[in-house]
Amino acid sequence: MYKILEKREIAMRNTWYKVHAPHVARKVQPGQFVIVRAFKNGERIPLTPVMWDREEGWIVLIVFTRGKTTARMAAELREGDGILNIAGPLGNPVEMKKFGKILAIGAYTGIVEVYPIAKAWQELGNDVTTLHVTFEPMVVLKDEMERAVGRHILETVPIDMTKSFPENMKNVTKRLTEKARELLEKEEWDLVFMVGPSGDQRAVFEVVKEFGVPMKADLHPIMVDGTGMCGACRVTVGGEVKFACIDGPEFDAYKVDWDVLISRSGYYTDMEMMAMQEYMKALQGGGQ
Amino acid sequence: MAVKRRIIKERVPTPERPPEERVKSFVEVNLGYTFELAVKEAERCLQCPYDYAPCIKGCPVHIDIPGFISKLVEYRDDPDRAVKEALNVIWACNSLPATTGRVCPQEDQCEMNCVMGRVGDKVNIGKLERFVADYAREKGIDEELLFEMVPRIEKKGQKVAIIGAGPAGLTAAGELAKLGYDVTIYEALHEPGGVLMYGIPEFRLPKSIVESEIDKLRKLGVKILTDHVVGKTVTMEELMKEYDAVFIASGAGTPRLVDAPGINLNGIYTANEFLTRVNLMKAYLFPEYDTPVKVGKKVIVIGAGNTAMDAARSARRFGVEVTIAYRRGPEDVSARVEEVEHAKEEGIKFVYFVNPVEFIGDGNGRIKAVKFEKMKPLDERDGRGKRKIVGTGEYVTLEADTVIIAIGKHPNRLIVNTPGLKVERGKIVVDENLMTSIPGVFAGGDAIRGEATVILAMGDGRLAAKAIHEYLTKKRESKNA
Ligand SMILES: Cc1cc2nc3c(=O)[nH]c(=O)nc-3n(C[C@H](O)[C@H](O)[C@H](O)COP(=O)(O)OP(=O)(O)OC[C@H]3O[C@@H](n4cnc5c(N)ncnc54)[C@H](O)[C@@H]3O)c2cc1C
Ligand SMILES: Cc1cc2nc3c(=O)[nH]c(=O)nc-3n(C[C@H](O)[C@H](O)[C@H](O)COP(=O)(O)OP(=O)(O)OC[C@H]3O[C@@H](n4cnc5c(N)ncnc54)[C@H](O)[C@@H]3O)c2cc1C
Ligand code: SF4
Ligand code: SF4
Ligand code: FES
Repeated sequence: MYKILEKREIAMRNTWYKVHAPHVARKVQPGQFVIVRAFKNGERIPLTPVMWDREEGWIVLIVFTRGKTTARMAAELREGDGILNIAGPLGNPVEMKKFGKILAIGAYTGIVEVYPIAKAWQELGNDVTTLHVTFEPMVVLKDEMERAVGRHILETVPIDMTKSFPENMKNVTKRLTEKARELLEKEEWDLVFMVGPSGDQRAVFEVVKEFGVPMKADLHPIMVDGTGMCGACRVTVGGEVKFACIDGPEFDAYKVDWDVLISRSGYYTDMEMMAMQEYMKALQGGGQ
Repeated sequence: MAVKRRIIKERVPTPERPPEERVKSFVEVNLGYTFELAVKEAERCLQCPYDYAPCIKGCPVHIDIPGFISKLVEYRDDPDRAVKEALNVIWACNSLPATTGRVCPQEDQCEMNCVMGRVGDKVNIGKLERFVADYAREKGIDEELLFEMVPRIEKKGQKVAIIGAGPAGLTAAGELAKLGYDVTIYEALHEPGGVLMYGIPEFRLPKSIVESEIDKLRKLGVKILTDHVVGKTVTMEELMKEYDAVFIASGAGTPRLVDAPGINLNGIYTANEFLTRVNLMKAYLFPEYDTPVKVGKKVIVIGAGNTAMDAARSARRFGVEVTIAYRRGPEDVSARVEEVEHAKEEGIKFVYFVNPVEFIGDGNGRIKAVKFEKMKPLDERDGRGKRKIVGTGEYVTLEADTVIIAIGKHPNRLIVNTPGLKVERGKIVVDENLMTSIPGVFAGGDAIRGEATVILAMGDGRLAAKAIHEYLTKKRESKNA
């Protein structure tokens, strides 16, 4: 059990958890993740330590409410409660070296995963620009980002309540690619890095490719154990099968087979939606 | 004990749930003996002398089999006493009898050369062992026996770290704790047990049994740190500094994949992923449990070992059609005989001499069919005594919306990359005392053998505990000198 020291909603559908997890805090490096199991009958899901204190033994997780597990965490976990399991840190740290001028992009809550990496790259002497594209009410880590890197660009997209969520997401994709193109046209870059939904990663990659700038992407396939035991997280990179949890999660965007990644990430969508609907029903029933 | 005995040729059967009933649930298939039935079966044993008994020679950890069986007969009027005495005999060599009694390939080990086989059925040693362990657990006799030992434990003041809470690690932990060492197990997953927990299904090895074994270890003072991945959460170097000895029992966790186009299509699982979702995460209870699994309508399992049988029989319990596709013939199936029989009774089909060459998608990233090359056997045999096979150049395509790959595993890469640790073909190299190339670091189980068996892993755990005890005794003595 890992005690929740702080919990609060920092933006719409974004929850901040400061958790006592000294075994992770003492070792974690930017680019690594943890696997969390919050409930007895719960799923194991990957999340990212965004900040940590090695001495005090805590980490911060910022979680986007997406499906049942993340919704349950937001609804049912309270300060002072425990999270059952936090395994890690897992995966490989990002390469810590001087690349030069870096554009680090985060779509939606992906920016929280960019934060520790961009901060460390900047501290190492790189010139880091971060770009965060998200919906207006979902802005997170703005001040922290501004303090951590040379330049933080925030692009917000309004939510059109008359349209569905997926329709609205298309506007984010559009803004991401437009802004990326603008920055690539105006300035010279040594590296682009991106975290976000794989569809958006691919869309941005298509733009970056035109400019021939090296690009790395943090991939988010579905994971179960996170230790190389199950093979759920396999991705095709450079024609080879790789396990994102032990070979990644960061890969060369030019070598990733995006079709395979996108199709594998959506394999359980129907079941996930069913679970979410049942959970919402139960929540409403319980509230009467 | 010169009791005159009539030879009873036939085995006393163990009750089993009927196939129609069991394919609908994950409850255990074999119901085991009652005390009366166990005594009847025990009476069939001819009590071969210890030095001769072929059953003892066949058991990898050399349990005194006639010894424990005779206790059941001797104290037949006092079942609790009979079981306690029998358990005491078994525990001298094997600390997980409820598990081994269920999962050992008895037909190739203890029961293989049982003398009764010459006149009738061999003695059902596995089921007797299981009976003793189950009865003891249900009545709390095992704890009673354990705590008769505990006051005698003399603290040594030395610390041992164990990596992995599978049968090898758990066994070593128990032995070392009984010897008075301060033992900490580092386990990557959220539950200890290794393959016993995430691989072997509930209907073959109820998880409550594994949990009770782990409970006993905790009562012996063993600390278990779950969520700790050695190589990430702590490094080997840190463990070597903090502990007086280290035992690597990290198993052979990395699944092998078929090297054929289409392997990353949706609907293709490794057996590890499929079984982890189903067993460890209880996906068969979705959405009450949050982890999903998709079983489709037609499942093909590739491979024919224990893992393949477990995957096939688990899939069958979702009410779907299941076929096992194996590149060799029926005589080379490596799974336990009982599992193959159960699989067939449960309606699983077997197709032999087919080797997958391509996974065919439906155009939307999902598996639709598997293309196999037909194979044919040669007269020659390979190093493991299996008949060599060659491709025929003829192909056959079988439809499937789920494919489970169960063609073996290699040791976990996170540990194998430790500097100074000698590794050959993915397996950690050890000497006859299970010491690795790094002094004070020992290894056993699947991590040194590749995919092997529970009893061999356990045997390694015991041997390692003994070797670690000797190593640490020397260390203590040289310090005191
Ligand atoms: C390395 C890595 C780091 C991540 N870090 C963060 C983070 O810091 N903050 C954050 O909000 N999210 C993070 N995620 C994403 C997060 O894991 C998913 O949002 C979460 O698993 C969704 O679970 P759910 O039950 O709420 O949604 P569901 O309804 O179950 O799933 C919605 C979608 O989430 C994805 N998903 C579901 N289960 C898993 C799983 N076990 N593994 C990976 N993806 C899954 C799938 O694409 C799925 O379609 C990270 C993912 C990875 C791989
Ligand atoms: C589906 C299946 C069915 C089987 N059926 C049978 C059977 O019927 N009979 C039989 O005798 N054998 C069977 N086997 C084989 C048997 O289970 C194994 O040989 C045995 O479990 C090996 O034991 P072990 O302790 O070496 O490793 P494991 O049981 O694999 O345990 C290793 C443990 O180490 C942990 N670990 C790995 N890496 C790390 C790390 N870096 N840090 C911390 N922890 C780590 C793992 O999470 C795991 O818990 C089966 C195997 C499978 C997969
Ligand atoms: S441990 Fe296995 S081989 Fe040995 S007697 Fe028991 S069932 Fe037989
Ligand atoms: S070989 Fe068979 S008959 Fe002889 S002691 Fe062993 S179990 Fe009994
Ligand atoms: S998540 Fe299981 S192998 Fe990567």
